[in-house]
Amino acid sequence: MTTQLKHKILLAEDDSDDAFFFFDFLSNRPDVDLLPSVTNGVEVIDYLDGIGSSDDLPDVIVLDQNMPKLSGKETLESIKSNAKYGNIAVAIYSTYVGPQLVDECLQLGAAIVETKPATKEGYNKMMDAILEAV
Amino acid sequence: MLMNETKTYEQLIEENEHLSRQLEEATDTIHAIRTGQVDALVVEGKDGHQLYTLKTADQTYRVFIETMNEGAVTLNSAGLIVYCNSMFASMVGLPLSMVIGMSFSEFVAPQSAQAFVDLFEEGWTDDNKIELLIRGQHNLIPCQLSVNALELDEGISLSMILTDLTMQKANQQLLEQNIEQLAQTNVALEVSNHDLLQFASVASHDLQEPLRKIQIFAGMLKNKHTGELPDDSVKHLEKIIDSSNRMKTMIVDILTYSRLSTNADAFTPTDLNDIIADVLNDFDLLITEKKAVVRVDELPTIEVNRGQIRQVFQNLISNAIKFSRPDTRPELTIRGELKSDNESNQETKPAYCCIQISDNGIGFDEQYAEKVFSLFQRLNTKEAYEGSGIGLAITKRIIDRHHGTIKAQSKEGEGATFSIKLPVFQYDYSTKT
Repeated sequence: MTTQLKHKILLAEDDSDDAFFFFDFLSNRPDVDLLPSVTNGVEVIDYLDGIGSSDDLPDVIVLDQNMPKLSGKETLESIKSNAKYGNIAVAIYSTYVGPQLVDECLQLGAAIVETKPATKEGYNKMMDAILEAV
Repeated sequence: MLMNETKTYEQLIEENEHLSRQLEEATDTIHAIRTGQVDALVVEGKDGHQLYTLKTADQTYRVFIETMNEGAVTLNSAGLIVYCNSMFASMVGLPLSMVIGMSFSEFVAPQSAQAFVDLFEEGWTDDNKIELLIRGQHNLIPCQLSVNALELDEGISLSMILTDLTMQKANQQLLEQNIEQLAQTNVALEVSNHDLLQFASVASHDLQEPLRKIQIFAGMLKNKHTGELPDDSVKHLEKIIDSSNRMKTMIVDILTYSRLSTNADAFTPTDLNDIIADVLNDFDLLITEKKAVVRVDELPTIEVNRGQIRQVFQNLISNAIKFSRPDTRPELTIRGELKSDNESNQETKPAYCCIQISDNGIGFDEQYAEKVFSLFQRLNTKEAYEGSGIGLAITKRIIDRHHGTIKAQSKEGEGATFSIKLPVFQYDYSTKT
């Protein structure tokens, strides 16, 4: 049996249903380790600041674009400008993804920008794409 | 009635004054002729002004000056009026004889006084033009004043032509008002257009959130409990999923429709054959599945927004295949040709590209030929033929934005033909608008 690399994934999502879908559809995947999710961008920064050893940092951060306090894009900007955790791969996802959002997020260093799926298969395809991009 | 014919004391006084002015004028004229100051005179008679010249005068010239629409004035070196035509006299509202001998500066409005002083100084050496205000009988008249120094027998004098600019100024003001009004309307339109786009975007975006959840939760119910649920309930769940999928398509299409006006139109010369090949490639599976026959003529290269025209062909080809008759093999023909603006003159450069997309499908009643392009207009039940009802509205809007036309012709059960007319070049429009 090969030991598969498990990506530690942190989700920032203010909508509890969407957080539920994320866990329900993806927690059984052998290639991901879903960390307890946070509900906005400020919590993401607090969480990252509170980690002592860089080994404990997540491998991928998935940010919802529309969140209170700090939007996904703004959180992305804060993450990327930080020396300690600026290298963590960031994915942005949103209900509606326009070309402008894609351009801006990629410019700011996002690995990928995805539309929120509407099925279990959609969620798995999205996670495949995210893991391929990081 | 009688009252009107009886003259009041004031009227008599006024009439008397008028008559004494006329008498004074006549006396002056006789005096002037006698002393050789004038060689022509104008007399106001029943038929208007009449000109009398003395033998030595250049009559043609006099008549010309007297009948022109401009005021003509000649000044001596002291700035006194030595000659003027009757137009100038009527501009200032005084009898001709009274004007002669007056200082011209008396007719200049205070706000133009300095400008006239300057002009009067320089006018003797340089021809010049200024705009100034002249005191009329009741109002100030905006005039253009041009001066030329003239060498006459009696010495040098300054000849001045005055053009009344009242009408021109009024027109100019009206024009400025109209421009201002247009600018305001334009701003209001832009605001309302922006609001509308904002609305469409927010509505579409926010509508998608709950809809997605309906899709997911319904999907979860169906997948997790298919075995436990009665057949009826599974069917109902499938209806929920189908309906929400259809609504999702509609929302995405509305968003596309509203965004058509935000994207700056970038028109580039595009080979329509490439676009058709591209679209047919996308429909490859459907065409094979339906055993459809597609014939495509050679199409020209014209200036279009590639992405938008691709959507037009995508919608029309998709419709042609979708609305096929169940028992008949779908046939689809795409034809295109260039036409000149003037159909009788084949020599002129082609201005339009006419494209026809015909099918042998179910067609529709000709009375709906206009209606099919309206938003949410459906001619068939969604059970039989799925779709958002926005496709042809998007198509029409794109063709409109390309300054073209689209028409539908059909008979029920005998297929449909969509005819598109697009300009070959777009630059004419972009420079005009």
